[in-house]
Amino acid sequence: MDVVLSQIVKRFGPLAANDDVTMRFAPGTIHGLLGENGAGKSTLMRVLCGVLAPDGGEVVVNGRACPGLTPEGAGALGIGMLSQDPLDFPPLPVWENFALGGGPVLSRSQAKARLAAVCARMGFVLPPDAPVSRLTVAERQQLELARLFDRDVRLLILDEPTTGISPAQKEALFGVLRAFVADGERVVALVTHKLAEAKELCDTVSVLRQGRLVGSFAAPLSTTAILGAMFGAEAACAVGAVPPRPAPVVGGEALLRVTDAVIADEKIVLQPLSVAIRPGEIVGLAGISGGGQEAFLRGLAGIAPVVAGSLAVAGRELAGKPATRFLNAAVHYLPASRLEEGLFPGLTLLDHVRLAFPERRAEARAIFAERCVGRFRLTNLPEAKAARLSGGNQQRLLLSLVPDDTRLLLADNPTRGLDAASIAQIWDHFRERAAAGAAVVFFSEDLDELLAHAGRVLVFFNRALVADLKAGIFDAACVGDLMTGRTVPGQAVA
Amino acid sequence: MTGRTSSLARAGFSLALALCVTLAIVAAAGAPPLTTLAVMLDGGLGSGQAVLRTLSALVPLLLCGAALCVTFAANLWNIGVEGQITLGAVCCVWFLRDLGLAGLVPPFLAVPGALAASMVGGAAWALLSGVLRTHGRVHEIFSGLGLNFVAMGVSLWLILGPWKRPGMASMSGTEPLPAALWLPALGGRPMSLWGLILAVAAFVLVAWVLNRTFFGLTLSAVRQNAMAAERLGLRPKRRMLAAMALGGALAGLAGGVLVAGLYHRLIPSISGNYGYTAIMAVLLASGSLRFLPLACLFFAVLTVGSIQLPLALSLDSSLAGVVQGVLVLTLFAARRLWPAGNTGSTGGTRNRGSAA
Amino acid sequence: MSLDYLTALIAAVLFAAAPLILAALGETISERAGVINLSLDGTVLFAAMVAFAAARATDNPWLGLAAGGLAGAGIAAVLGVFGLLLGASELAVGFVLTLFCRELAYFMGHGQARQPGPDLGALNLPFLSDLPLFGPAIFRQSPVVLLSLVAVGLVWFFLMRTRAGLVVRAVGEAPAAAVARGLAVTRTQFLCCLAGGALGGLAGGLYSLSVKPGWGHPQGCEGAGWIALAIVIFGGWKPVRVALGALFFAAIQVAGIALQDVLPGLSGTLFQIAPFPVMILTLLVVNLRRSAAFREAARRVPLLGRLVPRTAGGAPGAIVGALDKGF
Repeated sequence: MDVVLSQIVKRFGPLAANDDVTMRFAPGTIHGLLGENGAGKSTLMRVLCGVLAPDGGEVVVNGRACPGLTPEGAGALGIGMLSQDPLDFPPLPVWENFALGGGPVLSRSQAKARLAAVCARMGFVLPPDAPVSRLTVAERQQLELARLFDRDVRLLILDEPTTGISPAQKEALFGVLRAFVADGERVVALVTHKLAEAKELCDTVSVLRQGRLVGSFAAPLSTTAILGAMFGAEAACAVGAVPPRPAPVVGGEALLRVTDAVIADEKIVLQPLSVAIRPGEIVGLAGISGGGQEAFLRGLAGIAPVVAGSLAVAGRELAGKPATRFLNAAVHYLPASRLEEGLFPGLTLLDHVRLAFPERRAEARAIFAERCVGRFRLTNLPEAKAARLSGGNQQRLLLSLVPDDTRLLLADNPTRGLDAASIAQIWDHFRERAAAGAAVVFFSEDLDELLAHAGRVLVFFNRALVADLKAGIFDAACVGDLMTGRTVPGQAVA
Repeated sequence: MTGRTSSLARAGFSLALALCVTLAIVAAAGAPPLTTLAVMLDGGLGSGQAVLRTLSALVPLLLCGAALCVTFAANLWNIGVEGQITLGAVCCVWFLRDLGLAGLVPPFLAVPGALAASMVGGAAWALLSGVLRTHGRVHEIFSGLGLNFVAMGVSLWLILGPWKRPGMASMSGTEPLPAALWLPALGGRPMSLWGLILAVAAFVLVAWVLNRTFFGLTLSAVRQNAMAAERLGLRPKRRMLAAMALGGALAGLAGGVLVAGLYHRLIPSISGNYGYTAIMAVLLASGSLRFLPLACLFFAVLTVGSIQLPLALSLDSSLAGVVQGVLVLTLFAARRLWPAGNTGSTGGTRNRGSAA
Repeated sequence: MSLDYLTALIAAVLFAAAPLILAALGETISERAGVINLSLDGTVLFAAMVAFAAARATDNPWLGLAAGGLAGAGIAAVLGVFGLLLGASELAVGFVLTLFCRELAYFMGHGQARQPGPDLGALNLPFLSDLPLFGPAIFRQSPVVLLSLVAVGLVWFFLMRTRAGLVVRAVGEAPAAAVARGLAVTRTQFLCCLAGGALGGLAGGLYSLSVKPGWGHPQGCEGAGWIALAIVIFGGWKPVRVALGALFFAAIQVAGIALQDVLPGLSGTLFQIAPFPVMILTLLVVNLRRSAAFREAARRVPLLGRLVPRTAGGAPGAIVGALDKGF
């Protein structure tokens, strides 16, 4: 299958998400689409599979232009997409998800037979009657792949497929993709922001920056050239620089002491766990979806109740106390979905300052100028509505609302969806906080990022804390194995 | 000022469309459409007496509208306004009967005390629904609606049971209270100036609280994002309960004014649909405090005017509700067809999945 | 308690439950597709008036019932146009519609009030009606009971065992995913909204043509739609459990009437309102049972563990939290 995107333009209001992009997906290749968050990769792929209608340009499949492409039309042509968050129906069982394949709905017997056939061919193990909500992210990906393979998809698009899966699962996925294109006819389009993945897997790579195609490369791929294209020549070296790894903190009184605590979140209840965190530490939480690391973070924040055992911050017992007591103990939490959980979309930035510092609300303007603009370089007007902020500015606003005397800062995926400059700023800020004596605990779905910035890693698997690793003794493979339960911890626990 | 012209155009369109639909409905019911409308307008505005009746219907509508603004500000569907009015009325009658008549309170305190009691009653009834929401996860639409029926049952039970008229229980209500325990009326007419003053004062108070105070800001924070409010330590549950209590107190006051200023006794369904009409008025004003008094006034004219229909044309008086419903629906349609600046709060409530 | 009395009680409960079952099933279909139809109470009342008027005009109660169903679908169509096509808030429109339909029913039905009219009569199927206990209660009684029980089976089969039902459930669980798989989301939701409204309309017809025959101000079925809405939550959006919930509420109503004979001192109005506090209490119990706090308590007190719902259950994905969004 030979697909050409020709001079695609897609605008959202004044913003051009894709501006005159042309690229070819040649048969039998794995084609990487690289770029920062917000570069326009996902938009381009949605145009390709008919979810978005382009404002200009056309999609040409096997030499024929396809105007007015719809998701059904793209499906009929053999174009299928595995999106970043699995687009499936969690409460429905596996076979029902499979039956809703995109074409005519299959009957129960048909669906089960064909699912079994595809699984046997690809080496997947998927229980047909289990609800999809019980599957891991990797299994949900496999289910989506099985559905697409069953429909004989010719062009397979994958959007950031390695987020939330372990290195070993990643290798398995890459093997499947290589086998998929081995017939020299089918095509894979891999959307990613990770250069290492593209280098490992792709035959050709296109780089997008700010909606425009800024470079195309064929294997062997050169790191510096691609980085230069992704970030602009001058920024490449800054981004490429390895941040200073924080040294592990030893000795001193613990700031946070968790003893045999049972944390019960809405969906999951964690096994009893004990851990102590000292001031100045930057602790990363590793785990795959359902491992319990998010629940742990919410438990530390007082959002998920600690129903047994003890949780003390600076000697103050907080287990079972309401979230306001955690705030009073200078514990603050940065949610992953910033606009949905952290901000008030219709209120102005100034109102956010007033609400966050109620006792100093008369001086809100001064606080805004000093903290938001001065310290966090927020570029918006104080009268702007929070809904208008970009992802990076949302995180800047949230950070500027966290008081200076915070002792325990908790962050769930603090850099998700941000551009490189914002990401660098956030890690710098966390290091400053830690140097000033606060402890930072964060979770990131991106294992490489997590290992680069954490001075200590707590690994979660199957609702339990399975390993507590100090800096220097962990690497991606060992943490990946721990968080998917491939190795049983023993000697690793400090 | 495109915003103003477009909102005027929308209002004009919805009024015209609503008029057409209403005329069609009236014609379908086999009545002369234009005569019917004329009778309604005449009944609501045609004479001095009619205007006074309209004003006295405006009082509970304004109070309930203000009550609903407070609760909508905290994203609560206070459907239980009817019940809160009823409970306010019950508490007011209780205070006047059992304390005022018995001489347990000095005469000059009887009526203010009774109004205070009605506010407490309404607030308590609203808090019941609020606590069910914040601590029992029962949505206030269901609890409010259920409690409306319960409040009606309570008032019926009192009228037919413990508070029945000497000798006979009657659906016409309890024994009327002596004139000393009434809100002073306006020259002997069925209209109390004090009620109107109270309603306007309550309305101004609510506008001030919502727009000018920190409490108002926290309420809109809770409406926008309860989870974020929780993260900032704003205690959204307490704010919701406070909004519920304030709203309930205002609705209860409406019940108190109905007793002390108009009926002077407890009658069955004393809330007289004012609660539901006020919800319609708030929806018509799309939650804007500026347009709410106008919407309330218009609905008061309709409500009072329709009382003439059974006598004049032997039609059911529920035509008022029909017109109100049609008007709100056509306004919804107009607002979606020509979206203007400040429709953000009403906007599409959920992502329907296209191009997520 | 004699067998005859028990049979009579069962018959009375089934009879009172029939319209509730239909209304709640209709709302179940609608909500399973992701559309909350808050206009149900007004729909039932308005359809009751239409059904009665049509039955009088044609002198055929079955035609009247069909007219009621059509009226219900018509109101649902208004909701669909506003909510699905114009993108207005379903909740606000539904609520306005419920108030509007109530007033419209009384206005248009003014001429029908306290008039005699046809009703659906009674079945008497040979052999079947001689079965013990349930025979007379189902087959020697108003056809509405049989109708409602058949509807439970049909709706269950449709939603759980047909491909169209699978599409409905998929659309209601995750509209975005359904779009990505090429399912016609808006069309499915609109059709389900119509079907749900039609069932609500039939429920209204059952009231005015059989269960609370005739038309008046107030009609005896006021508030029934709200009870049906609560029953859907109570039944966890599952057709069979929803029907059981309707039977439970009907049993409360019947018990109220039966107790009235035993305790004449208590006023009849109190029994009329009894379902509403029960509605609030059941919602309280159902929701608390699903809460994390209760699950935790159940972990420590094994006896409570039996009460924890086995499946996560809960609302279809598309309407989770919809009620909390305001308007």
